[in-house]
Amino acid sequence: MKRLGPFVLERRLAPPRHVVFGVSLLAVVVALLLAALVFWAYGVSPVRAYSEIGRGTLGTVGGLSDIVRRAIPLILCGVGLTLSFRAQFWNIGAEGQLLAGAVAATGVALFVRVPDGFRLPLMFLAGFSAGAVWALIPALLRVKLRVNEVISTLMMNYIMAYIVEWLVHGPWKGPTMRGFAYTDMFPVAARLPYLTGTRIHWPTLVVGVAAAILVALLLARTRLGYEIRVVGQSPDAARYAGINFTTVLALALVVSGGLAALAGVGEVAGVHWRLRSPGHVSMGYGYTAIIVAWLARGSPLAAIFTALLFGLIFAAGDLMKTTLGLPFQITGVFNGLILFSLISSDLLMYWRVRLASKEKAWTGQAGS
Amino acid sequence: MDWTSWLVGTVSRALAFGVPLLWGTLGEIYAERSGIVNLGVEGMMILGAYAGFAVAQTYGHPGWGLLAAAAVGMVAALWHAFLTVTLRANQYVSGLALTLFGLGLAGLLGRGWEGRPLRAPLGSLAVPVLGDLPVLGPMLFRDQTVLTYLGIVAALVLWIVLFRTRWGIVVRSVGESPATADAVGIHVGLVRYLCVAVGGLLAGVGGGYLSVAYRPSWTEGMTAGMGWIVIALTIFASWNPLRAIWGAFFFGALYHLSFRLQAYVSPELLKMMPYAFAILVLAVSGFGGARRRGGAPGALGLPYVRGER
Amino acid sequence: MNVRKLMLLALAVTVVGSLGLGAQAIKAGFIYVGPIGDYGWTHAHDVARRIVDEKYDWLSTVYVESVPEGEVETYIDQLVRQGCNVIFTTSFGFIDGTYAAAQRYPNVIFAHASGFKRAPNMATYMADFYQVYYLNGLMAGALTKTGKIGYVAAFPIPELKRHISAFTIGVREVNPTAEVHVRWIYEWYNPAAAKEATEALIAEGCDVFAFTEDSPTVIQVAAERGFTSFAHYSPMYVFAPDYVVSGQLVHWEVIYDDFLVKVHNGTYTTKNLAHVDYWWLMAQNAASMGAEMGMPVNPKYVAPLKAFTVNHPQFGRISVYDLVFLRYNQFADPGITFDPFEGPIYDRKGNLVVPKGMWMSYDHLITMEWAARGVVGPWPGEP
Repeated sequence: MKRLGPFVLERRLAPPRHVVFGVSLLAVVVALLLAALVFWAYGVSPVRAYSEIGRGTLGTVGGLSDIVRRAIPLILCGVGLTLSFRAQFWNIGAEGQLLAGAVAATGVALFVRVPDGFRLPLMFLAGFSAGAVWALIPALLRVKLRVNEVISTLMMNYIMAYIVEWLVHGPWKGPTMRGFAYTDMFPVAARLPYLTGTRIHWPTLVVGVAAAILVALLLARTRLGYEIRVVGQSPDAARYAGINFTTVLALALVVSGGLAALAGVGEVAGVHWRLRSPGHVSMGYGYTAIIVAWLARGSPLAAIFTALLFGLIFAAGDLMKTTLGLPFQITGVFNGLILFSLISSDLLMYWRVRLASKEKAWTGQAGS
Repeated sequence: MDWTSWLVGTVSRALAFGVPLLWGTLGEIYAERSGIVNLGVEGMMILGAYAGFAVAQTYGHPGWGLLAAAAVGMVAALWHAFLTVTLRANQYVSGLALTLFGLGLAGLLGRGWEGRPLRAPLGSLAVPVLGDLPVLGPMLFRDQTVLTYLGIVAALVLWIVLFRTRWGIVVRSVGESPATADAVGIHVGLVRYLCVAVGGLLAGVGGGYLSVAYRPSWTEGMTAGMGWIVIALTIFASWNPLRAIWGAFFFGALYHLSFRLQAYVSPELLKMMPYAFAILVLAVSGFGGARRRGGAPGALGLPYVRGER
Repeated sequence: MNVRKLMLLALAVTVVGSLGLGAQAIKAGFIYVGPIGDYGWTHAHDVARRIVDEKYDWLSTVYVESVPEGEVETYIDQLVRQGCNVIFTTSFGFIDGTYAAAQRYPNVIFAHASGFKRAPNMATYMADFYQVYYLNGLMAGALTKTGKIGYVAAFPIPELKRHISAFTIGVREVNPTAEVHVRWIYEWYNPAAAKEATEALIAEGCDVFAFTEDSPTVIQVAAERGFTSFAHYSPMYVFAPDYVVSGQLVHWEVIYDDFLVKVHNGTYTTKNLAHVDYWWLMAQNAASMGAEMGMPVNPKYVAPLKAFTVNHPQFGRISVYDLVFLRYNQFADPGITFDPFEGPIYDRKGNLVVPKGMWMSYDHLITMEWAARGVVGPWPGEP
């Protein structure tokens, strides 16, 4: 506890939800104010900038659909990551897991003989399995060989990206692509349907929302969920409670990686209809999802909303380039500012400011 | 093609390409030894590359450019230190944000600087006497800039500082167990600030090398992912500055060989090597029973709050 | 009324509205795959955009850079919403997105660079370099002392294979034993990769360089070692005035100018573009030779090229300099009388790919996979 003039700063362990929400909102506002300076420096009136962005994203059907479309992979990756993070496993590898799903789905779409009706379900199944395996490796490396998961998952993103690169330049290069590095187009039976009038591939959206609900239930209501939480909060306690650390972590990562991979299936089956260079398959969704999950404070349901927030930020970035005619780098600066602001606000949540009353001020020494 | 020419070519290219990796890795090692992960290396390097080019171009001397690169790298790192040490923000997210921000800002500032060569590049150093040696001369002493040798010296100095001085003990104890360090009266925050700042300075020089010496001109996104290789290298080197030397040059050799061996080995396979190696090294050191995850500092990535475990 | 109908209605209103203001006003949107600061492909398109934008007062332009390939439709939507009635998409990877958008916005005119899908409201266009590469090859063949010429290449796609083969055919025309060593970097833009690829070629003994990558790296690296090179895409003479011999320059503005003027005067409409395909070469001035605008050959290299003479089967004893300009004039003539790929041509495996006296058709040119004789190095997808 610290005293600042007439105020007292108090530390709290678990900030209530409204504080988390309020402080995060405040952080976004601060970031927007900072970004306003950047707009102003580029000769664009911040008022005009924000009204254009608001109108272009939230004010039109097309704008809204763009937000949702970008949010789909973010929801799936983000929900998966909340599960890893709950188990205190810093999975930075959603990008690679997403690509693994895209690869598996492409394989099924183009090279597996299967009745049309089963093709899409099989693509989702194969995608999930590929992502699960890709996430299981770092989990086992950590449990068995104490390999730092931040590093292993990050490195595995690159490895998977080069695998995709190799596939599209080598064995999977499409004969109909005139020598360019793409696979052939998926057959119609391997493409996801759109919500009428938009380019929202709704089956993936449904899967994403369902996944969020199921993971929330898993965490709150099942024995596995309980074990994941215990493992995350205190590995020692988990050991005393007789929880098998390896199994729990492995299961958590299978789900986490599998969900990220479903996002990859959605991207190739719903957006691209082919496999292409990794940088174009995913616009860094796996990395953005880290922030989505982190902002959601480990809540899968909240991740839906933080994913939508980042869908909005992506869409706003588009508008800065098109409507406002700003250089594309401005989106990097803008996103960086928002992130900086959000993480700096983290500390605020754990402190409560109030007017110091005399007694409290003298007896409060027992705190921190 | 005879073997000496292969050897000479590979070693001399490995050194030249390894230089930015070496500087970046030394910086990251120093920061991580104090317990702070900085995933913003790519951002610091690109800012260094931009500043280095702009200043060298304006003032007509590569030295000023490199100084500017170092300074800018340090300022960027201080921002990361402020967020992660003072505000105790999540280090991974802060680093990612720094990379995003740095790439964006350097790109914005760099508009209009592309398309012109640097008028005062840092040239290769023809080392007298040594440069005239057969084989060794062209291999080590003809095609390198001063930054190659300075990088090696920096690695040696850093190793001595970390493992042979009192200050080194302080840094390592802060990285291993900040609570213990705190208990013996070390100012944990200050040490971390300093280490992260020096780390940024070194990364900035690595970026500056790219635009002032390696390819003396400015282009958008010219670091092209080197910052992430640096992260891999830091682990590959087990947080040891001496191992960083051969690690950086080994990666440099791999990169060069991916073009020389193109007829025989798939380039994608060679390009994924550094990343695969990093995992492999960690796994092998795990097999060896190294208790601290391949030599990682114990409190790596964790914010320190006095009074918490 | 569903959403789609509403959108179409809104669109129709906008389009009719803009037409009502005067059929002449054109707002052209440009969608780029890279940053305009790449000093290569995207930079060149943007230079061209600015030229036409300044030239015509009935024209206004907007651009979007660094657009991921899968996102092109999103950006087209936004540009249409902003009132663009002509949209250029400048990457092969935009092909399907552009085609889909052309179906969705039948009242907007689309043009897609380097592709092959067309529609009543979607044309294609390309400024190709293979003739220029051939001319550069003639000079490179004369300048190499080691008989090895290095080529740093981006991706193994037909476009580059065509260019490298044309270049090699030029080289061999004046220097029948010379080789062109190729290294791929699998990126359009990566200075570090281009540098190391050049170094690898230098280590193999190459002493003259040509390349396809968006930065002047190869030129800088070669010049450092005192080796000559040929610029690519943008004016790169300043990067090594003593060592750049010539190069390829693109002039997208001539295509944009022609296209937009024809839209403006009503020649091109949203109904008649299904067969509009620009394949513009030197004769149309879409591609030209040189490392700097208005300087086809670096004056420093005029003397050595004049001094190097060959016994040409067609022209007898001739200096390479004269040969280059003889061919140059043949290419510049709209009634072209010569093509680098004139049969008989054998690929490097010995197969006859172009029979005697024949030229390659456009379809063959844009799908070609074989490597000419004299090409050394990996060649993914070689038949």
